[in-house]
Amino acid sequence: MLSTFLDHQWKSFWRSRSKGGNIAGQIVLGFFLLYFLAIAVGVGFGMAPLLPKIFPNQDAITSFNGIILYYFALDFVMRLQLQELPTLSIIPYLHLKISKSKIISFLNVKALFSAFNLWPLFIFLPFCFVKIAPTYGAFTTLMYLISILSIMVFNNYLVLYIKRKSITNVMYTFAGLVIIAAFAALEYYKVISIMKGSDYVFRAIATHPYLGFVFTIIAFGIFTFNANFLRRNLYVEELSSKQEKKVSTDYAFLNRFGKVGELAALELKLILRHKRPRSAVILGFFFLFYGFIFYKEKAINADAFGQMMFGAIFMTGISIIIYGQFMFAWQSAHFDGLLSNKINFKDFIKAKFLLFTISCTIITLLASFYGFLSPKLLLLHLAAYLYNVGFGTVVVLYLATLNYKRLDIKKAATFNYQGTGATQWLLMFPYVLTPILIYVPFGIMNKPYWGLIAVSIFGLAMLLMRGFWVNYITKRFQLKRYKIAEGFRE
Amino acid sequence: MILEVKNLQKVYGDKTVVNIQDLQIAAGETVGLVGNNGAGKTTFFRMLLDLIRPTQGEVLSKGQNVMQNDEWKNYTASFLDEGFLIDYLTPEEYFTFIGSLHNLSVADVSDYLTQYTEFFNGEIINSGKYIRDFSKGNQNKVGIAAALMQNPEILILDEPFANLDPTTQIRLKKLLKEHKGNMTTFISSHDLNHVTDVCSRIILVEKGQIIKDFKTDENTLKELESYFSA
Repeated sequence: MLSTFLDHQWKSFWRSRSKGGNIAGQIVLGFFLLYFLAIAVGVGFGMAPLLPKIFPNQDAITSFNGIILYYFALDFVMRLQLQELPTLSIIPYLHLKISKSKIISFLNVKALFSAFNLWPLFIFLPFCFVKIAPTYGAFTTLMYLISILSIMVFNNYLVLYIKRKSITNVMYTFAGLVIIAAFAALEYYKVISIMKGSDYVFRAIATHPYLGFVFTIIAFGIFTFNANFLRRNLYVEELSSKQEKKVSTDYAFLNRFGKVGELAALELKLILRHKRPRSAVILGFFFLFYGFIFYKEKAINADAFGQMMFGAIFMTGISIIIYGQFMFAWQSAHFDGLLSNKINFKDFIKAKFLLFTISCTIITLLASFYGFLSPKLLLLHLAAYLYNVGFGTVVVLYLATLNYKRLDIKKAATFNYQGTGATQWLLMFPYVLTPILIYVPFGIMNKPYWGLIAVSIFGLAMLLMRGFWVNYITKRFQLKRYKIAEGFRE
Repeated sequence: MILEVKNLQKVYGDKTVVNIQDLQIAAGETVGLVGNNGAGKTTFFRMLLDLIRPTQGEVLSKGQNVMQNDEWKNYTASFLDEGFLIDYLTPEEYFTFIGSLHNLSVADVSDYLTQYTEFFNGEIINSGKYIRDFSKGNQNKVGIAAALMQNPEILILDEPFANLDPTTQIRLKKLLKEHKGNMTTFISSHDLNHVTDVCSRIILVEKGQIIKDFKTDENTLKELESYFSA
């Protein structure tokens, strides 16, 4: 029976409407997955040589032991936000002659098919074989693996239970991240050490390998707990997240923009009330830390803005890039309504510009904490901001008129590539390359600040030309609307 | 003539879905469009609303081609399907939004909605739900009420009676019959009883073409029944 279920799942995955055609998109996607996988494997194998460098005062195994609990704490918080409840897929089976226990075991097995249950394998396993096995021998290694997999399973089912009870929301995830960060800070200032605790636990497993089964027992406990909960509450409306009372809201600050503000408010509600755009927004905030990868001390000291440009554009423009890549398609479910109502297309386009400008401004202000690294970065951000608001918005909206793919925004964003087409990938090229190309000649002439000024002037000029761009995009929209509407109806 | 359709054609591949040579609708008429599934009713309505580009021909609203300018949107209200609803809003938000497009204040809108208390049967307003969480019937009610709220000169509804409970069907008929002003109504329906009851003129379509176009009288229902049972 279980295999039949999984077979159906397999079919539903491959036969889903959004899958068809679009091979190019899937290939690119495949590359991305491979890329992430490669990173995970790289981290896994890189851990042995890198850990002593990052934590020079202790041996690699201590450091390894130390990070395991940190990883799973982070894993737990991320799961809270991103892991999906495998509930809806059972509806067609509930009324058939299939015993409840079979449906439950299907739900439980299906829950294991999550990327979160893949990463630990790639990240921790290599180190276990490379370092733990030679030091402690085969049995201990096995118990290490069992412990790690048990914690993973524990996290998996605990999160599902919490989500089923609907005792979670974005704030908890955020709070969790803050708590982890706080512990990391305390660790850094040597007040409390989770790493020591984590090390202590895994040392214990190294000396008394049987202790590893404690994790297994706990994991099994939570699994049974979850299964029992399911058995008692196998009603779809109870299993999917609970309905809270919805209230009408009014965004007063947008009112001053008149009809354009109305439309922008409409879209703001769209973002906040759907899972997919909402996760996109949260992702955008995570990208605020992207700068730490790009802003190397060396680059900052050398004024190598060209290298850092990509990071700056991406970070400050993340809302435009992420939200803009599916532009118009977010509204595909009610696109006919938008067209047939008394909405001026120009206002419609203006509302998009307004929303982009507001969000980009907020993100740029938030990103100004990089000023502590070096005030120069603020100049870089200003240039990137002007570019994003001035020209990035235009690129995104122009490409939006070429996007005819319906998007089902009720589904979550993680690993959901529905509505993704070649446009989305193409978007990145003109968007990111333009400012870099403007900067490059100045970089070569070793006039980095002139380069920043050039990018800023370009952005500012485009911003001043906004009236023209609004008209231009509106014209294109008017031309393409039938085709867009047709695509969205499918 | 408030609505004129001239030589309107829509072709998908080698299939002609809509092919209407000439259709004139005078102001104040209540016109019912009947026909089996696939007769092209919805496609035709979509072309009336400039949602689909006709392969050929034109739709004139007060003499102006609907494709050329948006003037018609000022006096035309429509509800074809849930695709017309912004389903992540509460009904109140949706009504307010639609109202604001026609320069109605929040007070105007809530004032207007009080006359629909009966129609909504206490399930729509202050329900604490988004439109997407409503049943199809209640979604229909929201769409129809929002269309009527615009106080349109032309009202276009696609199968307004579908998914509605009997009480509401009767109330809707009453609403459509009594709606004040010189409103031109264009509805499609599979329910021959209702459509003959409400409409003063019936247009029968098959395979995209107008087969019959006549004024309703006491024999109309029988005629239609015999046509569809044949």
